[in-house]
Amino acid sequence: MKMKFFTRCKLVLLLSWLLAIPAWAQTQAISGRVSGSDGGGLPGATILEQGTTNGVSTNSDGAFTFSVKPNATLVISSVGYITQTIPVGSRATFNVTLTASATELAEAVVVGYGTQTKQDLTGSIATVGSKEINNVPVLTFEQAIQGKAAGVFIESGGGKLGQATKVRVRGTTSVSGDNQPLYVVDGIPVINDDLSGNGAPTNPLTDLNPNDIENISILKDASASAIYGSRASNGVILITTKRGKSGATHFELGYQTGVSDPTRNRKFLNATDYVALVRESANNTDDILGIPRTDPNGYTAYAESKLQSLSGGNDDYKTGLVNTDWQKELQQRRAATNQYSLSASGGDEKTRFYLAGNYIKQNGIIRNNNFERINTRINIDHKATTKLVLGLNLNLSRTLNNRIDNDNSFGTAYQAVALSPITPVIDPRTGLASGAFNPATGLPNTTFPLYYNPLLSLDNVRNATTVYRTLGNVYAAYDLAKGLTFRSELGIDLLFQTEDYKAGLLTARNTGFTVNGSGYNTTARNTRFTTNNYFTYRPTLGEKNSLEVVAGTAYEERRLDANSVSGQQFPSDAYRLINAAAVISGGSSSSSRSALLSYFGRANYAFDNKYLLTLSGRVDGSSRFSNRYGFFPAASVGWLLTEENFLKNQKILSTLKPRVSIGQTGNQQGFPDNAYTAQYSAGAYGGIATQRPASIANDNLKWETTTQTDAGIDFGFLDGRISGEVDVYQKKTKGLVLNTNLPGITGFTTYFQNVGDMENKGLEFLLTTRNALGAFTWTTSFNAATNINKVTNLGGQVINGGYINRAVEGQPIGVFYAQEFAGADPMNGDALYWKNRTITDGSTVTTVIDHSTGTTNDYNTAARVVLGNPNPRWTGGVTNTLGYKGIELNFTFQGVFGNSIYNGAGQYESVGFGNGLDNQTTDQLDRWQKPGDITNVPQARLFLGNGISNSSRFLSHGDYVRLKTTTLSYTFPTSLLGPAHISNARLFLTGVNLLTFTKYNGADPEVNADYIAGNIGQGNDFYSAPQLRTYTLGVILGF
Amino acid sequence: MKKIIHVVALGSALLVVPMAGCNSRLDIQPVNTAPADKALNTSADVQSLLRAGYAVVGSVDLYGGRLQYTADLLGDPAGPSGELFWQGTYSQPNEIYNKRITTTNTFVAGTWTQAYQAINIANTVLANLSKVSAVQQAQVEGGARFIRGAMYFELARFYGRDWNDGSPSTNLAVPILLTPTNVQDPSGVLGDAAKLPRNTVADVYAQAISDLTAAESKLKASAPSSPTSSDVATTYTASGMLSRVYLQQQRYDLAAVEADKVISSGIFRLTTPIADEFNSKINTNEDIFDVQITVQAGVNDLNTFYSTNGRGGDISVQQPLLDMFDPADDRLNLFNQDNGVLTTKFDQVYGNIHEMRLSEMYLTRAEGNFRANTTVGGLPVDDINIVRARVNLPPLAATDLTVPIILQERHLELAFEGFYLHDLKRNKLPVGTLPYNSPRLILPIPQREIDVNANLVQNAGY
Repeated sequence: MKMKFFTRCKLVLLLSWLLAIPAWAQTQAISGRVSGSDGGGLPGATILEQGTTNGVSTNSDGAFTFSVKPNATLVISSVGYITQTIPVGSRATFNVTLTASATELAEAVVVGYGTQTKQDLTGSIATVGSKEINNVPVLTFEQAIQGKAAGVFIESGGGKLGQATKVRVRGTTSVSGDNQPLYVVDGIPVINDDLSGNGAPTNPLTDLNPNDIENISILKDASASAIYGSRASNGVILITTKRGKSGATHFELGYQTGVSDPTRNRKFLNATDYVALVRESANNTDDILGIPRTDPNGYTAYAESKLQSLSGGNDDYKTGLVNTDWQKELQQRRAATNQYSLSASGGDEKTRFYLAGNYIKQNGIIRNNNFERINTRINIDHKATTKLVLGLNLNLSRTLNNRIDNDNSFGTAYQAVALSPITPVIDPRTGLASGAFNPATGLPNTTFPLYYNPLLSLDNVRNATTVYRTLGNVYAAYDLAKGLTFRSELGIDLLFQTEDYKAGLLTARNTGFTVNGSGYNTTARNTRFTTNNYFTYRPTLGEKNSLEVVAGTAYEERRLDANSVSGQQFPSDAYRLINAAAVISGGSSSSSRSALLSYFGRANYAFDNKYLLTLSGRVDGSSRFSNRYGFFPAASVGWLLTEENFLKNQKILSTLKPRVSIGQTGNQQGFPDNAYTAQYSAGAYGGIATQRPASIANDNLKWETTTQTDAGIDFGFLDGRISGEVDVYQKKTKGLVLNTNLPGITGFTTYFQNVGDMENKGLEFLLTTRNALGAFTWTTSFNAATNINKVTNLGGQVINGGYINRAVEGQPIGVFYAQEFAGADPMNGDALYWKNRTITDGSTVTTVIDHSTGTTNDYNTAARVVLGNPNPRWTGGVTNTLGYKGIELNFTFQGVFGNSIYNGAGQYESVGFGNGLDNQTTDQLDRWQKPGDITNVPQARLFLGNGISNSSRFLSHGDYVRLKTTTLSYTFPTSLLGPAHISNARLFLTGVNLLTFTKYNGADPEVNADYIAGNIGQGNDFYSAPQLRTYTLGVILGF
Repeated sequence: MKKIIHVVALGSALLVVPMAGCNSRLDIQPVNTAPADKALNTSADVQSLLRAGYAVVGSVDLYGGRLQYTADLLGDPAGPSGELFWQGTYSQPNEIYNKRITTTNTFVAGTWTQAYQAINIANTVLANLSKVSAVQQAQVEGGARFIRGAMYFELARFYGRDWNDGSPSTNLAVPILLTPTNVQDPSGVLGDAAKLPRNTVADVYAQAISDLTAAESKLKASAPSSPTSSDVATTYTASGMLSRVYLQQQRYDLAAVEADKVISSGIFRLTTPIADEFNSKINTNEDIFDVQITVQAGVNDLNTFYSTNGRGGDISVQQPLLDMFDPADDRLNLFNQDNGVLTTKFDQVYGNIHEMRLSEMYLTRAEGNFRANTTVGGLPVDDINIVRARVNLPPLAATDLTVPIILQERHLELAFEGFYLHDLKRNKLPVGTLPYNSPRLILPIPQREIDVNANLVQNAGY
């Protein structure tokens, strides 16, 4: 085998010799670099010897080398630039700067394994530049681009720092797998697995510093993304980091400081209303059950004694003396954010570098929730010979996230809202936090306040997640022959995470009364290495034809190893680590591995700069499936109408490019590594080992396949003053890898198989207008997208998630499905539900809303119906940039429309004490009180559960419009700076989430309860923390 | 053009050849689990599988707590006149307590799926008995049949109408499946074989009796000489479970006979004082069957919901129950005043659940003999007095003994241990205002099961 390989290698060398020698014999060698007006190299520019087909294309750096006959003339052209003609004469080196003809179109867009100019694109790609991403006071770049890319829906689940962000590119394609896009940083797919141990996912992309990002390309249609094959169905996000430019070394120092507050709060009863409504609800319960209100065993008496107990054993509740706003107590107001950064970039003809260091510490809106990141980046490019370029991209980071429990824990801060407003923060009997100490037992209080007081967790739990991340790659690009470059990349992504959790003695009511402190320590090592080897070939085919071919292979292997140990029984809170635990309560280790072997290619062909064709494809082999290999092809065409003669002589239309693409992509992410094999798993019973069947074999399991068609048009008017894109698409996903429900009698509940289809179709619209040019500049960029998701086939199954979410045929994924609430019975205050109608057609049973069937107070006899959709119907944003003499104002409004939000906590906090003494939302004051009352709030009945069941009662509209980011900046004129040896200086004020317009009756409409979030469980609120509203003041100095 | 061909040839050579060896790198075996073909080959393998059956039976969805508290919450009239008071925030038990169970109640679904998981494990053990060494075969078979029999019995009485409610031979219980799921071939779980309709109450009871009788006899050879092996089924556990089945069927003579087998073995002894029985984290001399809970494995869900050491007392005890105790009754020491009055029977967070105790056997033998007019193993009054003596109560005279008195003693002795609903039903006693045969006292067939198996008929009232 080895022998054979070497033989072939010799053959290759011989071939390149044969190709090269004839050229040397007869001609004059020239070299040079073609750059755009910003000094950056232009890849793919064509240099032709006039009147011949002898020519060459520039490499990724804009450089070229080739040979011409003596006294030749060079024709240098690139799509979107004005062509230049230069006589060669005796010169050997040419540095040519091309002037853009229509600015937008000349922009180089990063695509899979290469770059292309915007004008050449036939696929649908959204791009976001560094300006939109850098210096926004958020922890990850996704938050910075919310509302800025059409068809890319970004939602962070809540206001706890560093938590997972949901990103959906053109909708949801998978029910059981991953729906996040593939993230590729500088050509290398990166780790994006959540490793959180506390039930609330984290976001590994926080390890990247948004300030290092030069640009982002979001590959949306199959033509753009199919080159990433079996991982491209959810779109691909290509992140390119900053690189040095040759010239004097430029230093840049940045500092930003600011504060954060919660965007909005939910409103709860104050002490007086609480006491009044508790009493009323207890009276009602006694009346209904026929118990005299004076009965010492009745509810009225119970409520009164309970109120006294909740008040701290005194009568303060009768006068409203104590009125605790628990929301305020748990929050951290004006939480500080500070960010420091320093970068140096520059280089010479041979070597260019970008070095940057960054430190950010952000405090959350919840006490003791904070996030800290230290990060460095080293990007180096070195030209070893005229043919060989080497380079390095390296990101080193450490993040420390001091976290809060997941939304479902009594220890999570926002569950404090369930506590009674009559309960004092400090128990007057002990002088300590309520619940901290019970003088009667000498132990943490077990019955006071109403629940465990989460403020005790804020002060006595340490949940520190530390991540060390090394993400980097080295590359070498070699010009093998004229127009032919070979590039090899080796990327490594190492993520080491430790979680250090310790709950102190005072948390006993939440962690166990006999536990005496508990803790766990986890370590996870998530590693991935990737090799990409590919050729880029740009033959010179004359002035009318241009062709670029990319072909290569990739191999990728990931491995995750994790260990954990947990312990109990600590001598005191002075001890933090498990080494002090007297009882080791658990320990585990796990390891998982997967690999992907791929062949990929793409050809871009343009004829006469008018007719564009792109073909691409990838063959992927995945270890995750029994049916391993798949082919994912795509094709697209575009027509630059404005290059046609019949449109040349007019001034109105500057660009018109219709384009069409079709292709297939796959999804293999998010499934267990060995879902297709029959496995047994081990356990223990009474200290003796057990094993049981865990999974059933599937010899046919393969990836999900999405066929996407896209038709779009790029347009520009008035020399680009108005430009935009419209795209319409359809994504049909077949063979979902579904964790299907099995009849429980088999001993199994789920089974992975390729069952089911899903569909997304949508429309995207992008419009940029330059409203004012000159001293005063004003640009508006508007985008809007609609995506309609439909589960078209699940093999007849219904899969539940969230509280009332489900995946069911004929509906969008995750629809809210439950009984329809019909308000309070005006006669007696009973919670009513619409009966609605069930239609049985053979074996399929569907339900429809039909109010003619009337209402019932028997929840079980009301049919469950589709109540709403957690997926927004429309998303979009408007960004305005206004500038005048160094002052710039940039603000983005982001909008989400047509979705609903379900409050899972509604059954506890909005039910008139029907489920206990949890403090209630203020809407309960509208409760039914006497016959004839027309209201949506049923009678308050202590513990009787009047209307507590899941229904549309707890569903609200989730539409919102928000002033997402605002930056007001001043760039100092150079004349002022010169004497101070400062080359540039900018002062800026930035705000995030400054204004929110919504009808949502909860806290923040951008919400996705962390512990229950999934593909189906979405659009839920459950004591979730609201988003952060942040203001910062920043300065950037360059010298 | 020739150049292009060269380039393509060169490209293919450089790219394809070195990658050819990578294909084998896609063969990745999992290491966190064991491939099924390597898991079940030896005698020890089958025994580990059987032990998983016990772990499932002891999970929170079954004897780890839910079967017990579901019977007691459902058997309570609820409200101030009830004996228990649900004050927790979990909506699933709240629905059960208020007899307004939704078909999507996840606790109800969990009990169903876990019981069948135990049954599937038992079926798998039984199908692999040939791999078990000869000396252990009977014991392994007996264990598997105990698990299966106990689970069918519990499923029948929770998801079907009571034995004495109408006609057991037409009332529906749950599907009976006696063959294991083949993990190497998915056709079994995907086809119609997995979509069985519900069998009748009579069928399922017959299956339970057949399994438990077989277990009783298979386990005889390995009958323990001391009570400490109550972590797994012994012949006495099978007898005890059979006595429950017969009692539910009002076959009092047989119930007495089965209970007597346990008592007359002479190896079990009542723990005195009774508080020691419940303070014991480990199996006691009184125990015939214990669910094993350790710090590392298993959860005591009775502790979770009843105890001050669990969730702080989601279920508290109300005066009507406390009033039933004689002031001298030692069992009054099994309460504390915390979040209301709580039982201390389950205060050991990591304590085993004493699932079947000797005192139940005395009470069953007493009731069985009394109602069948037999004296298997002893006089009913003597059995009752043994139970009373342990808790410091004076003996009753034989002439004072009545069925209600026996049932009352049973209620107080076995309170919170999962008997009340079933005792009410078999005696046709109402739960508050609901008659014993109210559909609201029967669990719904879980919606998830009906969604995947159209042959399942939902219970009345849901």
